[in-house]
Amino acid sequence: MPDSHTVAVLLDDALLTLNRAVGVLRRRNVPIERVALRPTATAGVSQLTFILKADAATADRVAQQFHKIVGVRDVVLAATEESTREVQS
Amino acid sequence: MTETLTGAQILCRTLLEAGVDVIFGYPGGAIMPFYHALGDHPALRHILVRHEQAAAHAADGYARASGRVGVCVATSGPGATNLVTGLATAHMDSSPVVAITGQVPRAMIGRDAFQETDIVGITLPITKQNYLVQDVTELAGVVREALAVAQQGRPGPVLIDVPKDVQNQKTTYTPGAAARATLRDKNTQSLRGAPAAAPGVSASVEDGVREAARLIAAAERPLIMVGHGVIIGNAYAEVRALAEKTGIPVITTLLGISAFPDGHPLFLGMPGMHGEVRVNRAIQHADLIVGIGLRFDDRVTGNTAGFAPRARIVHIDLDRAEIGKNVPVTVGIVGDARDVTHRLAAVVQPRTCERWLAEIHDFTRPRAAAFRGDLAPETILASLYQATEGRCTIVTDVGQHQMWVAKLYPYREPNSHITSGGLGTMGFAVPAAMGVHLARPGETVWAISGDGGFQMNMAEIATMVQERLPVKMAIFNNGYLGMVRQWQQFFHGKRYSCTPIWSPDYVKLAEAYGIPGWRVKEAAELPDVVAQANDYSGPALVEFVIEQEANVYPMIPPGGSLSEPIETAPASAGD
Repeated sequence: MPDSHTVAVLLDDALLTLNRAVGVLRRRNVPIERVALRPTATAGVSQLTFILKADAATADRVAQQFHKIVGVRDVVLAATEESTREVQS
Repeated sequence: MTETLTGAQILCRTLLEAGVDVIFGYPGGAIMPFYHALGDHPALRHILVRHEQAAAHAADGYARASGRVGVCVATSGPGATNLVTGLATAHMDSSPVVAITGQVPRAMIGRDAFQETDIVGITLPITKQNYLVQDVTELAGVVREALAVAQQGRPGPVLIDVPKDVQNQKTTYTPGAAARATLRDKNTQSLRGAPAAAPGVSASVEDGVREAARLIAAAERPLIMVGHGVIIGNAYAEVRALAEKTGIPVITTLLGISAFPDGHPLFLGMPGMHGEVRVNRAIQHADLIVGIGLRFDDRVTGNTAGFAPRARIVHIDLDRAEIGKNVPVTVGIVGDARDVTHRLAAVVQPRTCERWLAEIHDFTRPRAAAFRGDLAPETILASLYQATEGRCTIVTDVGQHQMWVAKLYPYREPNSHITSGGLGTMGFAVPAAMGVHLARPGETVWAISGDGGFQMNMAEIATMVQERLPVKMAIFNNGYLGMVRQWQQFFHGKRYSCTPIWSPDYVKLAEAYGIPGWRVKEAAELPDVVAQANDYSGPALVEFVIEQEANVYPMIPPGGSLSEPIETAPASAGD
């Protein structure tokens, strides 16, 4: 069971939506290892990516909270591979 | 037909078009254009509260009682921040409230203008969605979207912040246009790329229902636990059908009270911190719990590590994020309580649970002699039930009286019990009851508070008088912040730090507001006084002087296991 998971949240490129999404991480007291925000190929869509030190069930619990945000388009959850960490560092 | 209107007029028109007929609010500088326009829209009844917090609670009470959106309005700055507790209350209890706040003009935003506050930022974590409207052409769409977001899926509060100059701006307006965006149901989406990450959640409602039916057929000690979702989703008949077809006893959480008729042979009562011993023991012995529309909140579960150790859990909830949040589930079904329960009731095999019911019956403990004197809460509530013939809505505040009412009042009508559950907001009952009355104008509404909570929002008596809202107020006066005092007695060596609380003369207070008031000290006075207050045509107040140090039993200590209730006062250092 990997102890680290990556959650990628695709969301509207609007300050309020970003604010709300980042607020979820803080509000839910999520143990974040790393967090990054980047533009995507689609205009008007950003990707908020974070790596959390947690088991799959916790990662799922966190990821589910993002689906409830108006302006979030997709949420993708994956176990963090070493290679992923490399690429992202 | 397209017209040219100001932002303020658009606010009024969009609300009216959505069927809103009453709003609760308080005017101020930044919301004055809206109040100016309100004068041209008499169909939108405005209730002038005495504090914006009461506007939010009243809108919440209206929403819970009617199932429709409750609307509150406040000015910028302090007006907006005063709404916060009410919005947080609505957020925790999934109540569809829309708050409209004035904001300083756009050019002033960010300059620390007079009565400027970032209410959108402040309410981010306690609203389902919120908006700062920067362009009047977006306003109608935003209001329509806000009303939709508040109600759809799992309901919740939404805030719309409208700068004063946007309220004055003009734009073309088309009645009945669609909401700004076609909204997806945000709650029920499932995750992509989450192979083993969602333990227990069924791929489809069909799969989940089939698996749940199989577990029900195999269980020896099954329970149904229902929460607020059954009331919000109007799933009373479906829950009853499921229970009666299977013989499974039913537990109602604090917010699930009145979702299942008290007195039904399968009704067990409330679980958790102040649940009856037999209810909590049933949970601890159960081998299957079918939870419908509840959160498995810590006041229900106690220490989750020790919660229902023998039980597999089927969890039906509209909000995917609730499934597996607090307790691990065997089967999670994401869907509407009414729809899923209906489907489950259709496929379960008929069965009975006679042996299990007998076992639960044997868990029953004689009720502890918790009260001294004859004016016991149960006696008061019995007389209330008698006077109203069980046909009234009871709105409670937070604390000991709330637990006594939850445990001792036999609710007959669905959704006749309204209280602040998740946030536990003292001061909720009196203003929320005003909203409940407006949602159910022909029915009797009793607001029951303690002497602490009542004093938080008692200024709203003036609102009741001015707006002719015939709410009946009951105060359980024990001279203490009773629930905190009880904790001090149990867990803090009986050091009653800052919990004795002085009250004014409530009968004189009633007189000052021009309403009838009574003080009851003995049970013999009850039937007459309660009947008089109940039958009075306007607002009325009754103070019940109860035993000072009565406790709510049993009690599971915070973080404790449901298996270990406190049933008598522990000997403490102070004894």
